[in-house]
Amino acid sequence: MFKTSRGEEIFIIDGHMHLWDASPDNQANKYGAGFISCFYDYHRNLSPADYVWEQPLFQKYGADRMVKDVFVQGYVDMGIFQPTYLKDFYKNGFNTTEQNSILKGRYPQRFILNGAWDPRDGEAGLEYLESLVHRFGIRGVKLYTAEWKGNSRGWKLTDPWAMRYLEKCGQLGVKNIHVHKGPTIWPLNKDAFDVADVDEAATAFTDLNFIIEHCGLPRLEDFCWIATQERNVYGGLAVVMPFIHSRPRYFAEVLANLLWWVSADKLLFASDYAIWHPRWIVEKFMAFELPDDIQKEFGVSLTLDVKKKILGENAARIYGIDIDVQKKELAKDAVAAMR
Amino acid sequence: MRRDEVYAQLAQVYDPELDRPLTELGFIGGVSIEGSVVTVRFRLPTFWCAANFAFMMAADIRERVSELPWVERVDVQLQDHFFTEEINSGINRGLTFVETFPSLATDDLHELRETFRTKAFEARQERLLRSLLAMGWGNEAILALRIGDLPGLPLDNDGAALAHRYGSILKERGLARDVTAPAFVHPDGRPIDTLEFRAYLARVQRTRLSLEFNASFCRGLLETRYGEGESHMPGCSDKSAAVRRPIRRVLE
Repeated sequence: MFKTSRGEEIFIIDGHMHLWDASPDNQANKYGAGFISCFYDYHRNLSPADYVWEQPLFQKYGADRMVKDVFVQGYVDMGIFQPTYLKDFYKNGFNTTEQNSILKGRYPQRFILNGAWDPRDGEAGLEYLESLVHRFGIRGVKLYTAEWKGNSRGWKLTDPWAMRYLEKCGQLGVKNIHVHKGPTIWPLNKDAFDVADVDEAATAFTDLNFIIEHCGLPRLEDFCWIATQERNVYGGLAVVMPFIHSRPRYFAEVLANLLWWVSADKLLFASDYAIWHPRWIVEKFMAFELPDDIQKEFGVSLTLDVKKKILGENAARIYGIDIDVQKKELAKDAVAAMR
Repeated sequence: MRRDEVYAQLAQVYDPELDRPLTELGFIGGVSIEGSVVTVRFRLPTFWCAANFAFMMAADIRERVSELPWVERVDVQLQDHFFTEEINSGINRGLTFVETFPSLATDDLHELRETFRTKAFEARQERLLRSLLAMGWGNEAILALRIGDLPGLPLDNDGAALAHRYGSILKERGLARDVTAPAFVHPDGRPIDTLEFRAYLARVQRTRLSLEFNASFCRGLLETRYGEGESHMPGCSDKSAAVRRPIRRVLE
């Protein structure tokens, strides 16, 4: 909960967070080491100096630290766990639904637990998806198209098996499909960050919401175009938000484009914790104003209402959360006592 | 100085995605020269930077440096990348992309290269258009400009640099042969209609913005990764011979 200077309470849902173990003990190979080093550079490069961690802490910070950072200090009321398995890079996986479910069990009102699937798992994976719904009641999944698996170096939403999984999601009520376009390697001669497959999948499955994490960066222009065409395509602001600190002008230009092309109703705040700490992002975002020339050019404005939508209302809507009811539940839980 | 000659050649190698020379981006980790053999160490902002672009840049480094008459061999050493071995071995044996990655690539990189040259064209054009609009030029006056008008536009130094960069990509695409042809055209050379100008501008603005955003991110990550002259990545032990050039401040 963030309180404005006028005393208004802003309900915050962090749309993308992780509890990972990337410590050397869990790294399976040089790719596991390379993966977390890359994240660490993102963290060091875009965080304000006061928020930069030492590498060992960044590799493994643990559940208590996460709860304190996000819910006690970070203004966040609820967070969406987006699992990223990476079992070819980390012995026990980077962070799986099962691992995340432990913390969800401790703070059931605080977390939205999402699952994950991989179309290369075939029939067995479809059963696994079903079991995630039955065991954890998941309403969303996080898909990482750049994940390596055996000899495979990635996949697309338009692969026939992926289409079957999406169909299954519709049947099971798993409505929110978070797509992370990483650097896909197959086929290597194509653009590794291409988002065109999202377009086709979103057209084929109009009953599902497709939340494109980090707004398709580094292919923002293609993402904006797709999001204008498809009513069920949303933008997740992980990676975009931290630019508010280091490159506020770029951030303003990008946000103005997103507000114009994607709309204020379809953007979701996310910190990508632990890459970035939500506290400073929320503070800076609440204080942020679009420069006049950008407002004029795009005809958009970043009002308090727009901020409220981005910070929590949009995520609440697609996950079926009644904010007023939820506030009362949260006031009674263990985290509220720590604040 | 032979080293300067090598750097002058490297300044002509562009990151296809960011449309900036490798020398300016700080991607050249060092050059060593022994007789007629040149070794170029080349590094990228992350371990996961797209392998196809890395290959293009490595191939271009080899080609440009080989143009120097005294050079007999070029050894390109991409560092700290998940495909380091494959790319270095392919490039230094003169293999094509498909030959280097027979099981991962279905074709060479011409199509990808063209996609990103088109984006570069749009971004360069948008910056120039934007600066003309900011000076008060109207849509019709802008669209009435001819190729031959570009060098003489009344612009400040920054604006003149934008016009030069746009002019050179027009030339590269074979769109600058006729000085009486329209100066502002679609990437394929079709004229831009007055009625579609604003929509066109909004589209190319997104391209420019994305490119600029990525360039800013990549430069920052490279500084974070190598800024202290020390890499935390495994496998980067060859520091003694590297001539590390200071990374230039981000141009905005």
